[in-house]
Amino acid sequence: MVRERGQMKIMQMLFMIVGVFFFFVLAGLFFLGIMFKDVRGGADELAREQAISSLEILAAMPELSYGDREAMSLDEDKLRVMVEGYGASYGNFWPIASLEVYKIYPAFDSVVPCPAANCNYYNIYTDPRYENLQVGDSGQGNIEKVSSYVSICKRIRELGSVYDRCEVGKIVVGMEEISEVGE
Amino acid sequence: MKLKDRGQQEIVGFVLIVVVVMVALMVFLIISVRDSGEDVDSVGVANMLDVLIKTTSDCAVVAEPKYDSFEDLFKSCYDDESCSNLERSACEYLNESLGVVVSSMVKSEAMIGAWEVDFSVRDGKGILKWDEGNCTGSFSGASRTIVSGGRSLVVRMRACYI
Repeated sequence: MVRERGQMKIMQMLFMIVGVFFFFVLAGLFFLGIMFKDVRGGADELAREQAISSLEILAAMPELSYGDREAMSLDEDKLRVMVEGYGASYGNFWPIASLEVYKIYPAFDSVVPCPAANCNYYNIYTDPRYENLQVGDSGQGNIEKVSSYVSICKRIRELGSVYDRCEVGKIVVGMEEISEVGE
Repeated sequence: MKLKDRGQQEIVGFVLIVVVVMVALMVFLIISVRDSGEDVDSVGVANMLDVLIKTTSDCAVVAEPKYDSFEDLFKSCYDDESCSNLERSACEYLNESLGVVVSSMVKSEAMIGAWEVDFSVRDGKGILKWDEGNCTGSFSGASRTIVSGGRSLVVRMRACYI
């Protein structure tokens, strides 16, 4: 009788310990889940911030920017000039693999490279080493492309008045991936 | 025997207190984590919003070719003005066109699954709202304040990153 009672007590204690253990495991997992979700979100946000900051520097260069008044505004007339061969001469100046700009709004059905009428895609610079690569070629993976929204502005004369018209575009910069030591 | 029972009761009471404190701490942590995520402006969404409000619309309130940017269009909508070239109110045009622009922007960004834009008076009622998609990830947001006639108007954008 005493023995059974003792066993009962041991079982009670065992159930209690198992219950408390599972509770803390679940609480820990829940807490870790929240923590890691936040860390991952923070890392993604930092990567976006870094990409946008580096693109902001490029967009602010006098060769591309639309006046001095606004950040992330590109001059469409300057883009047209750069696309007609001037961009290539900046190869040594820009430490990048490629620089492209395309319009997003007004929306378009097909990509029309500039210079052309109603064009929407400016390939300003591409490193000669990557010029002939097609998507899927080995070596394409060495370029990491980062992008950001920009305003593409130009001065227009209409009905005898001049005004600034800004459209939505995207600047895309290809950067060579640097492999880490020991990889 | 009585002393042993009392000891067990005290242990159970202690465990209960620990459990209650843990639950309270977790609730507090969840609330604080959620709050901190909403307050900070996301750089990516702020960039989208900045470009959006600078974009020139097809609505000329005064006369052609003085077309409003979306920033001016928010002010014109609040002031209940009309687009002289389109023969419709600025709010009607804004309601139709802003969604189209943001939709085009989001199409070029594979990481964004859903979005929301709110236009309201600061500490006042909402004026217009746009949204698209269902969020399966986490929302990031940013807001910009536009001043019109001494009143602060707030444009708030939230994007759901997958």
